[in-house]
Parts: sequence; C-alpha cells; structure tokens
Amino acid sequence: MREETRKALRRLFSNASGVLGVVLLGLFVIVALFAPLLAPPKPGRDPYFMPVVTWSADPLPPSREHPFGVAGKRDIFYGVVWGTRTAFRIGILVTLASTAIGLFVGSLAGYFGRILDEILMRVTDIFMAIPFLVAAMVLTTVLGTGLDKVMIALIVFSWMYPARLIRGNILQVKEEQFILAAKSLGVSDTLIILRHVLPNAIFPVLIQASMRMGSLVITAAALSFLGLGAPQGYADWGALLNYARNWMLGGYGATFKYWYMIAFPGGAMVLFVLAWNLLGDALRDAFDPRLRW
Amino acid sequence: MKRFLVVLGCVFFALLGVLPVFAEVKNPDTYIYLSIGEPDTLDPHYAYDTASGEVINFVYENLIAYKGESVTEFVPRLATEVPTVENGLVRDGGKTYVFPIRKGVKFHNGNELTPEDVEYSFERGILFDPYAGPMWMLIEALFGYETLEDFVKDKVGIAWSDMVDEEGNLKSEEYRQKLIDFYTTYIDPAVEVEGDSVVFHLSRPFAPFLSILAQNASWSAILDKETCISLGLWDGQADGWWKYHNWKKEKSPLYEKAIGTGPFKLLEWDRTQQKVTLVRNDEYWGEKPKLAKVIIWGVDEWSTRRSMLEAGDADQVATPLQYLDQVKGLPGVVVKEGSRLTITALHFNWTVAKDSKYLGSGKLDGEGIPPDFFSDVHVRKAFSYAFDYDTFIAQVLKGYGHRVPSVIPRGLIGFSENLPMYPFDLEKAKEEFQKAWNGELWEKGFKLTLLYNTGNEARQTACEMLKENIESLNPKFRIEVQGVQWPTYLDAYRQGQLPAFIIGWLADYPDPHNFIFTYYHSNGVYGTTQGEAFRKFAEENLDALIEKAIEETDPAKRQAMYEEIQKIAYENALGMPLYQPEEVYAMRSWVKGWMFNPMRPGEVNYDGVWKEE
Amino acid sequence: MLEPHGDCGPHGAWFALMIFYILRRLLFLPLTLFGISLLIFLMIGFLGPYQRLATFINSPERLKGADVDKLVELYGLNDPLIIQYGRWLKNVLRGNLGWSYVGKEPVLSAILKRFPYTLELTLFAAIPIIFLGTSLGVLAALHHNRPLDHGLRIFAVVGWSFPDFVFGLFVLMIFYGTLGWFPPGNLSVWAEEIVKSPHFRNFTGMLTLDALLNGRFDVFLDALRHLAGPVLTLTYVEFAFLLRITRSSMLEVLRKEYVRTARAKGLDERVVIHKHAKRNALIPVATVSGQTVIGLLAGTVIVETIFNRTGLGSFIALASQQLDYASIMGGSLFFGLILVIGNLCVDLSYALIDPRVRLE
Repeated sequence: MREETRKALRRLFSNASGVLGVVLLGLFVIVALFAPLLAPPKPGRDPYFMPVVTWSADPLPPSREHPFGVAGKRDIFYGVVWGTRTAFRIGILVTLASTAIGLFVGSLAGYFGRILDEILMRVTDIFMAIPFLVAAMVLTTVLGTGLDKVMIALIVFSWMYPARLIRGNILQVKEEQFILAAKSLGVSDTLIILRHVLPNAIFPVLIQASMRMGSLVITAAALSFLGLGAPQGYADWGALLNYARNWMLGGYGATFKYWYMIAFPGGAMVLFVLAWNLLGDALRDAFDPRLRW
Repeated sequence: MKRFLVVLGCVFFALLGVLPVFAEVKNPDTYIYLSIGEPDTLDPHYAYDTASGEVINFVYENLIAYKGESVTEFVPRLATEVPTVENGLVRDGGKTYVFPIRKGVKFHNGNELTPEDVEYSFERGILFDPYAGPMWMLIEALFGYETLEDFVKDKVGIAWSDMVDEEGNLKSEEYRQKLIDFYTTYIDPAVEVEGDSVVFHLSRPFAPFLSILAQNASWSAILDKETCISLGLWDGQADGWWKYHNWKKEKSPLYEKAIGTGPFKLLEWDRTQQKVTLVRNDEYWGEKPKLAKVIIWGVDEWSTRRSMLEAGDADQVATPLQYLDQVKGLPGVVVKEGSRLTITALHFNWTVAKDSKYLGSGKLDGEGIPPDFFSDVHVRKAFSYAFDYDTFIAQVLKGYGHRVPSVIPRGLIGFSENLPMYPFDLEKAKEEFQKAWNGELWEKGFKLTLLYNTGNEARQTACEMLKENIESLNPKFRIEVQGVQWPTYLDAYRQGQLPAFIIGWLADYPDPHNFIFTYYHSNGVYGTTQGEAFRKFAEENLDALIEKAIEETDPAKRQAMYEEIQKIAYENALGMPLYQPEEVYAMRSWVKGWMFNPMRPGEVNYDGVWKEE
Repeated sequence: MLEPHGDCGPHGAWFALMIFYILRRLLFLPLTLFGISLLIFLMIGFLGPYQRLATFINSPERLKGADVDKLVELYGLNDPLIIQYGRWLKNVLRGNLGWSYVGKEPVLSAILKRFPYTLELTLFAAIPIIFLGTSLGVLAALHHNRPLDHGLRIFAVVGWSFPDFVFGLFVLMIFYGTLGWFPPGNLSVWAEEIVKSPHFRNFTGMLTLDALLNGRFDVFLDALRHLAGPVLTLTYVEFAFLLRITRSSMLEVLRKEYVRTARAKGLDERVVIHKHAKRNALIPVATVSGQTVIGLLAGTVIVETIFNRTGLGSFIALASQQLDYASIMGGSLFFGLILVIGNLCVDLSYALIDPRVRLE
C-alpha cells in the first residue's frame, strides 16, 4: 500500500466521528445486504413492495408480530429494512451521476471562462430556474411513476449545484500562483485541470456530495409528501413517514400515541444522513494534501 | 451582537406570553368551517362541484326548497306555493308547472325580484350551457336533449361548430335567422311570465322536475336580470344570443361575483387563502340567520384542520372517515353522522382499447387479458363473488356504510332491501371462473392491472382486497394494483384503457333516474365508458326501460320498473356496487341548530346554526 | 508565499468593469427566460391532451356531465405543440401570462399577490439561518475536532435530515397544539379584518411591513406570531448546510499558508481570523447562502401547506399537480427572473469579497 494512502487511512480511523460514520454506514450496508433474511418477502412478489398486513388504515403499535408496528396497512419493520436498499440505490446512483455531470460542466466553465463559461452558466441557470418540485412533478407525470423515473428527475435537476460550486472554486483557484506558474511552464490544460485545479477545488464538492447522499433520501420523502416519489407501497423511508403525517398529532390525551410511525423510519433517515456527513467530513480531513504538516 | 440577539429573543417570547385569555366561545357570531379545496366558480350555471354549490346555496335562492331533512317534501321559497297536482299548479299531465312569485323580495344590491328575473335566469342558463356544466339537467328535463348544441343541431339541422366560431360570431349571415327562430320557437316558450307567475312548459312529463329546481340545486338559482346585463351577460334578446353560449370559465363575470336574494351576502372570495367570507343579509325577507359572519376556509392538511378544531379556532372541519378516532372524545368536540345519496361501484370495461398497457399481453394466454375479457358474464360474476363487502365496510369504512343491491342508494324510490345481492363466496367465484371462456380461463390464467387514483385510500384498499381474494383462487391469476396520479388516470379512463374502474356518483337530484341513467344507459356518463359491447347490451336490454321509467309519474309503477332494471343488472353482473358511505361531521360542542340534509352541498346549514356554550 | 493583494487598479476602472459585467449578464436575461419556458413546455408537451385536461377536470367527481372531447377542442389541447407554444408566447409578449386555473385569476396577478408572502417568510427565515449557520460554523471550525465541534455538527445534521413536514408537524403540535403560541394561517380573524378594511393601506403586500407602516403594532405582532412556526421549522431544517460549508471553508483557510504567515508574524489571533481567514472562507459560503435563499423562495411549499400560509411555493406545487401549464410557465418564468438576479448578486459578491477574482 502506498505510504500516502496508509497515512491517510490512519488519519481517517483516528478521527472519532469518522469512525462513527463508517460504523453506522457499515451497519446500514449489512442491513441492506441481509434484507431478504431479516424481512423475508412473500414468494412471487416484488420484495420492494411492502406487503399489506391489515385492511384497516389505523396504525398499530409494535408487537411481536410487527416489531416496529404497522402503518398505512404495512409492516414498518419490513419497510425500514428494505428501505435501506432503496436509500442506497437512490443515493448512490443519483449522486454519482449528477456529481459527474456537474463536475464536468463546472470544470469546463470555470477553467476556460469567457464564452464557454457564459453559455454553460446560462444553461445551468435555466435548469436551476425551474423549482425542483415543479420539475419533478411534471416529469414524473410525463414519465410515469416508478423509482427509476424519480431518479431521472432527480439527476436531471440536481447536477447544477456541484457545477456552480466547482466553478466558483475554480475561479478562485485559477488565480493562485502555482497554477499560473504551471501555465507559464507550458503544461497542457487538461493536465492542469486534473492534477492541480481539481484536487484543490474539489473539497466543497465532496462535502456537498456527501450531504447529498443523505439529502436525496429526504428529497424523495418530500416527493412522497406531494404524492410523487416511489409508487404506493414501495419500501421507502419517506413513504413510511408520509403515512405518519396525518396521525402525528396523536389521539386525544396521548399526543405521542403514534410515536413508532416516526421513530423508526425517522431514526433510520437521521442516522443514514448523519453517517454520510460524518464520513464526508472525515474523508476530507484525511485526504486533504495540504493538511499534512 | 450575540447578547443583543439574546435580549431580543427574550423580549419576543415575553410579548408572546401576553396572550389573549382563552375565551369561552371563540368568535361568538362568526362560524368558521374548514374545508378541503375551494369553490371552482360562483357562476351558478357553470358550477358543478360541492364547494361552489355550498357558497351559491346561501347567497342565492331557488323557487322551492326541501323541507328540513326530507328529500321528497318541499316548501316554497321564492315561489309562494309549491306546484302540485292538487293545487292545480301542475297541469297537462305533468307537462306544465306554474310558480307564483313572491313579492317584496330584494336582491343584495336593492333591486326587486320580479318574474322576469326568474325567466331570465333559466333562459340564460340554458343558452349558456357550458361544457362540463350542470345545465344538462334542465335541458334534459325541459326538452329531452343532453346539450343545447345537440338540441340546435337536431332542430336546425346544422352542427353548432359549423355555424358559430370560437369567438361566438356567426360564420355566415344565413344562420342568423335560423338561430333567432330556434330561440323564439323552442327556448322562449319553455319558460314564460304569466302575470305574477312563471310557467314552465316541458316537452314530456318528467318526474323529478321539482327536485331539479329545489334549493341546493345551484343551477336553478335565481339571478337579477339587471345586474347580469350590466355585467355584460346575455341581454335577453333573441338576436345575438349565440354570443353568450359556452364561455370559458374565467370569462364569466359571475365567477367571482354573486348578487342573490339569499340570507347571506358574499363579502369576499380571497383566492390566495382559499377563503370565502359571507356576511348576514340584514334585509333578508325571511327569518334572518343568527350568525353575523361565515368563513369557509380551505385547509388541505388534516393535521392542521384537526389542531384548529381542538384549539377552538375552527367550529367545524371536514373529517375524512379514517381519522375519526382522532376526534372522537376530544373535549369540546362532538361528532355527528349523515348519509348522503352517493354510491361507489366497480364497473367493467367490456371492450378495452387495444393499445391499453393494462391488458398485459392482450391475449388469453396467462400473461394478459383479451380486450373483451369482461364481456363474458361468468368473469363478471366471478369478480362479484370475490369481494368481501362486509369486511371492507367494517374495517375500511369502520362500519360507516352499508351495501346496496345496485346503483340506487338507500332513500330513493327504486331501492329495496329485497333485491338480490352477490355474497362474498369464494367457492362460487371459483365455479364462475371455471365456466368462463369455455373453461380456458381456468387453465391458462390471466394477468391484468387495476388502477386507482392516488389519494383515495378506500379505493386503493378495495383494489388490494380484490387482488388478494382472486389471486388466492388460482396461482395463475395475477392482478397488479397500481396507483397513478389523477391526470394519468383521467387519460387512461377517457381513452377506454382501463379494464375496470371504481367510480362513485353523488346525486344531482334525489331521483333514481340520476343514477340508473348514469350507470346503465348506453348514453349515460359511465355507460359510455364501459365499452362498445356494453353499449349494445344496454341499447337492447335497458335503454327503453330506463326511458319509460322516467316518464312515468306514478311512484308505485316507477318502483316496480326500477326494480326490474336492477334485477337485470344483477343477473348480468353489470357492475359491483361496493357501498353507500356515511359521513361524519366533527364540530365544536358550542354549535347549536346544526341539521343534516342529504342533498345539501357542504356540511353546514349556516342560516340555522348559532354558537353558545 | 501568497498574499492577498488589494484592488487591482484604480477604483474608477474597477467600477466600470462591474457595470459592464452587470449589463452583460442582464442582457442574457430574456434568453434565459425563453430557455426556461421552452424547457418546461417541452416537458408538458409530452403529455397527451387528456392528461392536460386534468387542469379543468381535477377530480373524479367533476367527470359528471363532462363532454371531454369538446373541452379538449375548446382549450386547444389537441393542436400541435408549436401552435400551443406560439399562442402562449404571443400572449406573453403582450403582457398577458394567461389565466391561472389554480389561482382562479390571471397568472400575473396570482403570482404578484402571493410573492410578498413568500418573500416575507424567506427574509424572516434567512436571517436566523445565515446568522446561525455562519457563526456556529466558525465556532465549530475554531474548536475543530473537540466536543463542541462534534456536538454542533450532530445537532445541525439531525435537523437537516428530518423531512420538513415532520419537523413542521412537531412545531405545530408543540407550539400550537400544546402551548397555543404559533397558530397556522397568516393572521388571526380580528387582525385580518383590520388588514382588509379600507383604512389599511397595502404598501408592499408583506403583512409585517405593512402593519408597521400603517402604525398597527398589534397587527404586526400577530403577523409575527403566525410567522414564528414556519420560520422555526425552516431555520432548524436549513441552517445545517450553511454550518457545514462555513466550517469546512474556515478550516481550509485557517490552514492556508498566508494565515500561518500572519500568525508567524505575530499578528493578533483575532485579526488573523477576522481579516484574513473569514474573508477567504466566504466565497463558498456566499454561494451556498445565495442558493439557500433562492431555494427558500420556491421551496417553502411544505411549510406553507402545514401552516396553511399563502405563498408562491404552494401555488406552484398545486399548479404542477394539476398541470395548469399557464401557472407553471408563469411561475417558472418569475422564479427564473429571481434566480438570474440572485445569481448575479452572488457572483458580484465574489468580486467584492475577493478582488482577485477577475470578472471576465
């Protein structure tokens, strides 16, 4: 293993919150991998759809049969377990795709400047000008419901943020002396971008990407709130929370009567986002070359 | 800087502490009702939804009204007598109705009510007849046609769109006289002023005519002719009436103005807040309401409505059935019940559009269904046996509902407890499936998709229950249940792509015809969406019966006719009537004088309630 | 060694450059707006005429008596896309944004009536968000990796990872249901009567400001009370992002060479932080602050729904659900305008903060 990497990994693991993040994520990964064992799906059915366990829409508190309770006629435990897979799917696919596109566009715009910058930034403006929820709604109506359609909508309307961020940073880094030096030495533009500009300008983007891994799960929850997002009955933490919406205020005299409807899916969501954030921070702390002193 | 903010924060919270003491009855002479959504338009001849009807109902008045909670007895309102055969105001075997008009009634702007206003109101409505509007009921009752344009086409011989363009102008001068004559020959004589009365001439007897006119039927509201003309509506002349036909909703000046004779005046319709504010009409000719003000506010989020009810900031809120347990037992809140004239049924499409994506493979090969899947009566019967009606009502509706044998709800002529109904019987369902399609269906299996419109939990559950039960009969039977957004549902429904659909109907007027025609006639609103094969069946077996039943005026004879129609529906499993729901109304205990009427749009009789501890 | 140097060139020239830059960006405005309208129209254009009809028949109950095909004709939903777009464009150029079926009034007036409410909420929320986010972010950076840092970050992330509606309902439950402090809606019944009366003059459309301008302190307080719930919800949910960006920016800058140099020179720690570190940390912070504020302007729909407030967010959301394309187009154009101007301000602030950034 390279000396640098080894040192970096050591730094990563000596950081307490970083370790916590990794551990949490590890737990989620285990749950996601072992989902079929933890919450066996009914044979012949799509495991991502939570099975209906009761006809009445009333929520039921945790019991032996349903350890996390029942909400919206569905078993919450099943939903939380399989929802982990959904969360990873959405988060990874969308973040990767949109960050890649954003980096590409933003780097071009920031580094080359002038007309290219102008055009790319106008295009970015156009995409950003449409309120995300509007676009998501219209797009899912057009494309139809389904997780993949939702992910397309999320990608198409979120690449702009990493793009702007990296462009801003590049605008700044571009003027640093070592870049000007490299240019005057005749180093090619591509090399400059890849080896000098990007590594220095990339950190806010990394942070943003790690925040977005988690935030996408929240955006999907917002879409569920508006009746979009994953199809009805799909195992998704946001959809589970959405069932809680009309029961949250509790029955009379027992404001927290339906606590389990929020506690379990909500807890999963908070821990998931927290884990990504801690990891993102720790990664940055560990791999930032200029931190070496 | 930080210290300043801390101090500011403390001051802020201190100020909040100086709150008004919780009064006993909040806002004692204002009634605040929280609804879902808001009115569509206040033009009585355009509005066709309950939210609009609710407002129109208390600002405008009709000629007659229902007596208390009844839907069969009437009392006079703007007329001084209810026409009956006995008092001689119904003549010619039910083809003529005479309404003597009350004197001394003023509109909200001070104008006197005259019989000319009544004549104008009805004629304007008929000539206006916007698409998707409610005027078809009057046009059907008076003339026997579905729309004004059909009427014109039949009598003049030329299609409307060939004569008049989108702006309302004639395409050629030769049509002018034809259209003028149409008005003077058919429309004008239908509603006439005779002395102090207004007389209606129907083309044939129509049993529910009075119901179509009664208060709660917003399309029969009485407008002020002078006000309308000054707002730019039809001037009452024969020449040029076609310019005022079928305006777009937003073009009608009446969409936000309402000058009626009713117990309340419209103060404001604040569309940014979805709030309608009414104030008491102190010059009202009848018994004045006890409330000074009414606020009808659209609050779509249930939790918010509920917390406002609890806090006393609202007097009554729209309460969906599934949240009943949250309000039962709240201090200061009572829950009342009522049963409207509405049913929900699952109907089949006998000839699905070939390009539908809900057919699977489109063939009887186990991977789909053929487009005429439901034209086989055994399939329909099997489905009818496979639904657990009682469990659905008990668990999903929490017991607030009951079964109906066919599409006629309890409370109307034609309903009978003795009519046969399909029980939940999986054995019989199995038998029927085995007989279907010459036994092929049982061998090969099928796959289809049932759609429901997202947001409607009851319908979603109904689809899911059906799926579970049918799939349990034979592993080769597969039903996919999918929820889609309303626009997609509407599109699929309209193009005939849905193999089956759950759809409800709320009575426009309390007569079985309103339901039977809709569901079973080949020209009914739902009749036309059940496929070509169904239309043929209806034409051959039902249309004639339905048309006879509406012309018959003897209630006993009508009862027998409607029972016969319903028996045919049962034997052929024309549809699966699922339930007639009951509604619950949650209100503060300080509300007094609340009364229920199944035909009233909206949940409150504002002219009769008041608030006191 | 690097040093931040002062302005490049005499003030006059720099100023002129700025003006040119602003003008050039503004020239692109119509093009941007045109692009937005085209993009949205294309998306909607994929829908069939019956789906578009959903605007006029927006629930199963209204299928009654509807002659669906005639309606399609009447509203021209069957015409080729180009014609429908052309029709819309022609009207827009005449200043007519069309009729909003969701707002039940012309689109332009629907937007203009609702925008002040959203603006008000945004402004009242932006202040605590930016303040809390930046100051706590700096605090966290200064206590890097110590308990305060971890604690702050976890506190922030917990808020940010809860969907707004959950937190909003909590706020409603506790602060209204139990305490009765922050009611839903814009105003109480008595305050609304005052505002709607002829004596009350509407200057800006923002209730708090208008109340003060009319000298009605009681209405002002009432409006504040109704704002408190949504502001609280938005603040807790949004400030985390800003905190993180500020913290990471500060951390990066604190380690930069020139800061070490300044420290080595023996400059007072506070001067080091305030003068050098903060200034350079500010660019990503400015970007994100700008994005947050702009995002707030259109993203308050959930908070508006729960607290039942008027606003542009719920208007556009409802329009999208019902495919009321005139409202969607109009709203997006309006939002586009705000965004372009907002981004322009953010970009200008780059130059103000770090004069090294050349505005090309």
